[in-house]
Amino acid sequence: MKFTITIILLFFTLITFNVTKSQEKLENEVLSISVNGLVCDFCARSIEKLFSKKESVKSINVNLEQMLITISLKKGKSLNDDIITKVITDSGYDIREIRRDR
Amino acid sequence: MNKHFLSLFFLITLFFIKSAIASPISYPGGWTIMQMNDFNRHSVHFHLSPSVKYSIGYRGEYWRKKEWQFHGTQLNYLIKRFNTPKSQANLYLKSGAGLAVSDYKNLNNKIEPNIFSGISVDWEDRQYFVSYQNRVNYNSSIDTFFLQKARIGFAPYVGDYGDFHTWVMLQVESMTKTKNKIIYTPMLRMFKGDLLAEVGLTNYKDFMFNFIKRF
Repeated sequence: MKFTITIILLFFTLITFNVTKSQEKLENEVLSISVNGLVCDFCARSIEKLFSKKESVKSINVNLEQMLITISLKKGKSLNDDIITKVITDSGYDIREIRRDR
Repeated sequence: MNKHFLSLFFLITLFFIKSAIASPISYPGGWTIMQMNDFNRHSVHFHLSPSVKYSIGYRGEYWRKKEWQFHGTQLNYLIKRFNTPKSQANLYLKSGAGLAVSDYKNLNNKIEPNIFSGISVDWEDRQYFVSYQNRVNYNSSIDTFFLQKARIGFAPYVGDYGDFHTWVMLQVESMTKTKNKIIYTPMLRMFKGDLLAEVGLTNYKDFMFNFIKRF
């Protein structure tokens, strides 16, 4: 009997955990920013440093092959296009497109 | 003198690396330190970038052949940047003003105002790199010259963000008023993260080593 209860509790714990994770994923906004000029790893460090200073940024990924910057925002936080454009311009690049996904 | 000056360079370099690590900020407000050693000179330049358009900082040099030093301020200004979907090109103006201090023969202990200016242009994509820069240096008697430097390079493999990157380059340098008119330096540029280093050997078997760290 104890074993069955333990199994049931574990089962519901796992379900609850997965549902929470899915909700987090749904609520976290992900920005995909295409930029021109993103050819050098050494120079692109400025993008990571400047975005990391923004309170709303959870994580950042730079893809030189696709010249794409992917930014995951914290739950409930956002970053408007003007701020994104300023950070990219301050880093020395030009924006091609900003895409937002949830 | 040479040894004392080199020791001073390394001490300054180490001091600034140590202090800058405690405050890791970058553009705008980012610090960069560049320490370079080649056929003609040893130099250190550390600068602050108040905006993406310009940086300002201290420059120190020791010119080996004519045994003189420069200490002063350098301003780097981005005239134009060209960002395309596959490449980036830049045009800079680099100028400086300060003092020239000589240890050379009859110029021993002579101190004079020194100015310099030049343009720097580069183009690169993920596999190829080309650059050119020049400099006109002027002081009244210690050393006045025109220097030109060009580089061509390629990456034997294309790494992604965060990888260890390697570039194979050839640098060609020409400077007026020197016995060796053209200096060829085959070299390797390597970088990972915020650290960049270059090593090379000139056609006069002189060693080249450059180091750049961004904060």
